[in-house]
Amino acid sequence: MGFGDYPAEYDPKVHGPYDPARFYGKADTPLAQVKLGELGGWLARRNKHPQAIAGAISRAYWRWQHKYVQPKRSGIAPFLQVVTASMVFFYVINSQKLSRHKNYKYH
Amino acid sequence: MLSRAAILSGQNSRALVAYASRASSATASGQDSSKGPLWQRPVRQEPGKVRMGFIPDEWFTFFYKKTGVTGPYTFGFTLSTYLISKEIYVMEHEFYNGLSLAIMWIAGIKLLGPKLAKALDKEIDNYEAEWNESRVQDKETLQNAIEDEKKNQWRMEGQTMLVQAKRENVALQLEAAYRERLLEAYTQVKKRLDYQVEKQNIERRIAQKNLVDWVVRKVKASITPDQEKQNIDNCIATLGNLIPKV
Repeated sequence: MGFGDYPAEYDPKVHGPYDPARFYGKADTPLAQVKLGELGGWLARRNKHPQAIAGAISRAYWRWQHKYVQPKRSGIAPFLQVVTASMVFFYVINSQKLSRHKNYKYH
Repeated sequence: MLSRAAILSGQNSRALVAYASRASSATASGQDSSKGPLWQRPVRQEPGKVRMGFIPDEWFTFFYKKTGVTGPYTFGFTLSTYLISKEIYVMEHEFYNGLSLAIMWIAGIKLLGPKLAKALDKEIDNYEAEWNESRVQDKETLQNAIEDEKKNQWRMEGQTMLVQAKRENVALQLEAAYRERLLEAYTQVKKRLDYQVEKQNIERRIAQKNLVDWVVRKVKASITPDQEKQNIDNCIATLGNLIPKV
């Protein structure tokens, strides 16, 4: 699988048009249905190759796109989500500096 | 199969329509004749449900099974209380700045949102209608063609009825002509027979007359003057006898 190629498991004859939000490999138990005891095994089964991680992020992005941005009559939700997410992100990366503005010494 | 009669009866056109409908109903998704569709064409989703303008509804319903409807709000409130009281989230000057910005955002969304949404939705509808226009028009044309075809077939049925009526009409005319000729023949024959009857009558009358004349002439010729005289005398005697005796 080179740069810009489809995933190796994707077959247009079987899967139809390519859906960037879909995982074409063999499906594992969804994380929400994994029991706590099996969590270690579940994590061990994950593909931790950087390419796979990038693919997972890309799929999540497209899932978000399909759900909130691409619908015909999407509202203001995706904009507010981006704003909120960036607020949280920038707060976290700046938290070291912002912590100097604390008003109380003891909590 | 393309015989004239079949075209006239509209059999072929009906078959063609059936072919066409079958061709158009073949789905766009991958089809395996034995196993049904292998895959479905992805469809555009409806926008995900959100609360407070941006928080996914699933994040709220996730709590429902354990905590009920107020659970997510309780969780959010307690979490923010914790973050603020421990000053993990520090309320520096940017927080109040953000607060005022949030108020402005909310007011803007509440006031202008519905109008903007209406305008944009209208634009989307127009755009979609524009793309659909040719398809809709094609469909309408084909629909009209089908209607016309059906009407023509109906008219064709009317034609057969008309031909039937014409046939009956011709039969009636033939019958009338036959009867007229029959009557003609009858009158002609009657005329001739009448003529014959009349001729015979006249002939007999003339013959009778001639016979009578001949007999009278003969009788007259056979009468002698004596006989005549005797006859007259006889007559006078008779007349004399007729005079009533006084």
